[in-house]
Formats: sequence, C-alpha cells, structure tokens
Amino acid sequence: MNLVRKGRVITLLGLGLLAGVYVRALAFTPVERLQGPAQKIYYLHVPAAIWTEMAIVLVGLAGIFYLFLQDPRLDRFAEASAEVGTVFATIVLTTGPLWGKPIWGTWWTWDARLTSTLLLFFLYVGYLLLRSAITDPALRGRYAAVLGICGMCLVPFIHLSVYLFRTLHPQPIILKPGPPSLPASMLITWLCSVGAFTVLYVGLVTQRYGLSLQREAQGGIGG
Amino acid sequence: MADVPQNSGYMVAAYIVTAVILIAYAVSLYRRTPKP
Repeated sequence: MNLVRKGRVITLLGLGLLAGVYVRALAFTPVERLQGPAQKIYYLHVPAAIWTEMAIVLVGLAGIFYLFLQDPRLDRFAEASAEVGTVFATIVLTTGPLWGKPIWGTWWTWDARLTSTLLLFFLYVGYLLLRSAITDPALRGRYAAVLGICGMCLVPFIHLSVYLFRTLHPQPIILKPGPPSLPASMLITWLCSVGAFTVLYVGLVTQRYGLSLQREAQGGIGG
Repeated sequence: MADVPQNSGYMVAAYIVTAVILIAYAVSLYRRTPKP
C-alpha cells in the first residue's frame, strides 16, 4: 500500500472518530448552564487550535533540520504539515467567531490572542504562496524553512498572550498549571476530540506527503 | 433549564462548518492525486 492510500485509510478513520465525537458531544455531553449549547463549540475549536500550533511547530523543526541536513523528506513533510495546518487554522478562525458572537456579543475583537492567531493563518498562507512561487527545489526548501522557523517562534506568544495582555479570550482551562477545570464528562469528550484531530492530522499529512512524492516521480515541482 | 441561553444555532453552524472544511480538504487531496 502506498503512502497516499495509507493516508486515505487513516483520514477515513479520523473522520469516523470525529463523527463519534459529534454524537458524544451533541447527545451525551451535558449543556453548560451559563453559556448554553454554544459552549460545545469548544470541543472542536480547541483541538483544532492545538493542531494548528503543533503543525507550525513541526514545520519549524523540520525547517531547522532541513537547513542542516538538506534532506528533501524534511522539506516535503514541512510542506504537508503547513497545508494541513492551514486547514485547521481555517477551522479555528471560523468556529471562534461562531462561539464569540453569542458569548461575547461580537464576532471578532482585535485582542492579542485573536490577532496573533490570524497572523499565524496569514503566515501559513504566505508559506504556501512562497513555495508555489519558487521552482528551484533547493532554494524553495531554504526560504520555506526560514519562514517556517519564524512561524514556530509565534506559537509561544499565541499561547501566552492571554496571560500577557488584557483579553476577552478565556484563559486555558485544561492546558494550564494545575488540574483541568472541566467536569469528567466534558473532559472525556474533549480528549476524544483531541484524539480524532490527531488521527486526522496524521492521515492528511501522510496523504499530502505521498501526493508530493507521486508528483515528483512524475517530474512535477512537488506541491 | 429556563435560564440556559438558547444559542444552539451557533453550535450547529460550527459543527457543520468544521465537517465541510475537513471533508472538502480530504476530497481535494483525493482529486489532486495523479491517476496511474
């Protein structure tokens, strides 16, 4: 079985798991009393945000190693991870305002967390545009690696922005020092969703990596 | 339950948007794969 087929199987597994998360979140997880049903957006928004940030960290790490080793597999992985990260960032930036409107009364506010996440999305898009604009693989790999490393440096700022600035965005209730501030039933749903997004990330990146391999074998420029 | 906010429309929209984005990307990967 080639990589694309393996990726497809893993992606289908991930979509099946996510369907299970939908059923559990919508039918078997209690409604939060103060926020109402809109709180359940949390089960999609936060796992997508975690993998948006993880994806750019992996792009950055692959970029660092690529600059030293010049291994095209690292560049291929970084490209795949950046594309999947862009998809997850799109989910974060659509589900966030859909939660913000009923809870904050506004779709968007220019605070540090939201603005830095939007900046990360633009950085992802810029990364993909940069790659598509350069035909020389070695040059493309080097430039993309540098941009990926810059993106990775943004992640600690995004995560700490809710502590460093006054913000409407909630403080972390799970990824924080001390025990999670969620009841067990909600925490289990959230953990299942993180698992589903993890499988989806692996499946989609595997497919995208295999796609680059196939295109290179056929004489294309990758991507 | 009377004081629980009635905002399920936003939740449904978020769940639909997420599914559409993920399925659309999975389909785009399938369509971009070179056929032998």
